[in-house]
Amino acid sequence: MIISELKVDVVSESNHFQLVFKPQETVDQTMGTSLMNDNSKKLSTWDELLVRVGRDRDKSAFAELFDYFAPRVKSFLLRFGTDMSLAEEIAQEAMIMVWRRAETYDPRQSAASTWIFTIARNKRIDRLRRENRPLPDMTDPAVMPESIETGEIQVARMQQEKKIRHALKNLPEEQAKMIFSAYYEEKSHREIAEESGVALGTVKSRIRLALNRMRAQIDKDEGITP
Amino acid sequence: MNDQVSLNNQVLDALLVDYAAGALSQPLEILIETHLAMNPESAKTMQMLMQLGGILLEECEPVSLSEDALDKVMSAIAEDEEPLQKVTHSENSFLPRPISDYIPDLSCTKSWRSAGIGIARHDVKFSQSDMRATIYRIQPSRAVPSHSHTGSEITLVLAGGFSDESGTFGPGDIAVQEAGEVHKPVADADGECIVFAVNEGDIRLAGPFGRVFSLLVK
Repeated sequence: MIISELKVDVVSESNHFQLVFKPQETVDQTMGTSLMNDNSKKLSTWDELLVRVGRDRDKSAFAELFDYFAPRVKSFLLRFGTDMSLAEEIAQEAMIMVWRRAETYDPRQSAASTWIFTIARNKRIDRLRRENRPLPDMTDPAVMPESIETGEIQVARMQQEKKIRHALKNLPEEQAKMIFSAYYEEKSHREIAEESGVALGTVKSRIRLALNRMRAQIDKDEGITP
Repeated sequence: MNDQVSLNNQVLDALLVDYAAGALSQPLEILIETHLAMNPESAKTMQMLMQLGGILLEECEPVSLSEDALDKVMSAIAEDEEPLQKVTHSENSFLPRPISDYIPDLSCTKSWRSAGIGIARHDVKFSQSDMRATIYRIQPSRAVPSHSHTGSEITLVLAGGFSDESGTFGPGDIAVQEAGEVHKPVADADGECIVFAVNEGDIRLAGPFGRVFSLLVK
């Protein structure tokens, strides 16, 4: 069989989803200024600590991150139906992975919480499948947008998180419920449907509506006042 | 927007959410990762969903670890110099990853068996042993005989394109076929169409966390 010429647009070079932040051009200018004015360009404490772990191999910074995130990772896993001892184990393994991979953390690309969430998510799946997955290479210079200033990427990234929080807070209750169930509970969409007494098709359409609201919020030009 | 388009969009969003939450079976996870590599819009949504995951993680009520947990982790990292894994990739370089790592050389006839005139298939094996999925290669303009599925099916177009009763699909597009629906896909005339199809029967996450993926069943 002969393959005729095919062109496939390959965006990702890694085996897994990459946390690559590509801010929209329309958003950067205005937002950059307004954010710099209100001084929220500053990194969050957790982002700073994670940078210190990566750059200086700083164990006290790591211990602080551990105190904050490990119990939340464990909690997250428990909600997802993992039993107590396994949740403890995976939380510890995830934090070891945080130490190991901290050098690849880039605060311009993701918040510490996003980065640690991804690691915990992958760790959980690995344990489930008993395999070791390579983590995405978030340092690959090929995936960094060139034309945009570092500061602007970071500002836009943080602005986006603010918008997601805002959108989440303002979701209609029935939509928010579907999102929480999907992230927090070991439930299929069908079980969610049965419990909430709505049709499965309704669960799917509410998930889509919720995502549409969040996407619309992110695409909005104006910033959110904190 | 017709019903099929809106169903496809709803299923896609539900798949993206489940991917972010880490709830998909391996075949579907690979299907979605490949889709993300091909579709910038979905990649952008995924970035948002990972950020959402981080936000929800921070909002979890903390549950204390065992008293010696930090000590254990600290001693583990003290002696830690485990080399990080290098990723190796297959030769089907024109196909997107990660699915390309699961596809045998396209010129190796032994790996492909006939599934009708002008149609070849390869069954993909996953480390989750009970999972199966199939790569189909359909010659240009070739019609797949009219058929229906006992279970529903999710298909990702890897190269080329096809049309059926529900619409037209190109590289990176996901087509959703519901159980019992009859369709007759026809490959585009301008090249071989390669698709990755995951059947609903195989859409289950094994192990103690077992979350049955019943997205498509009404």
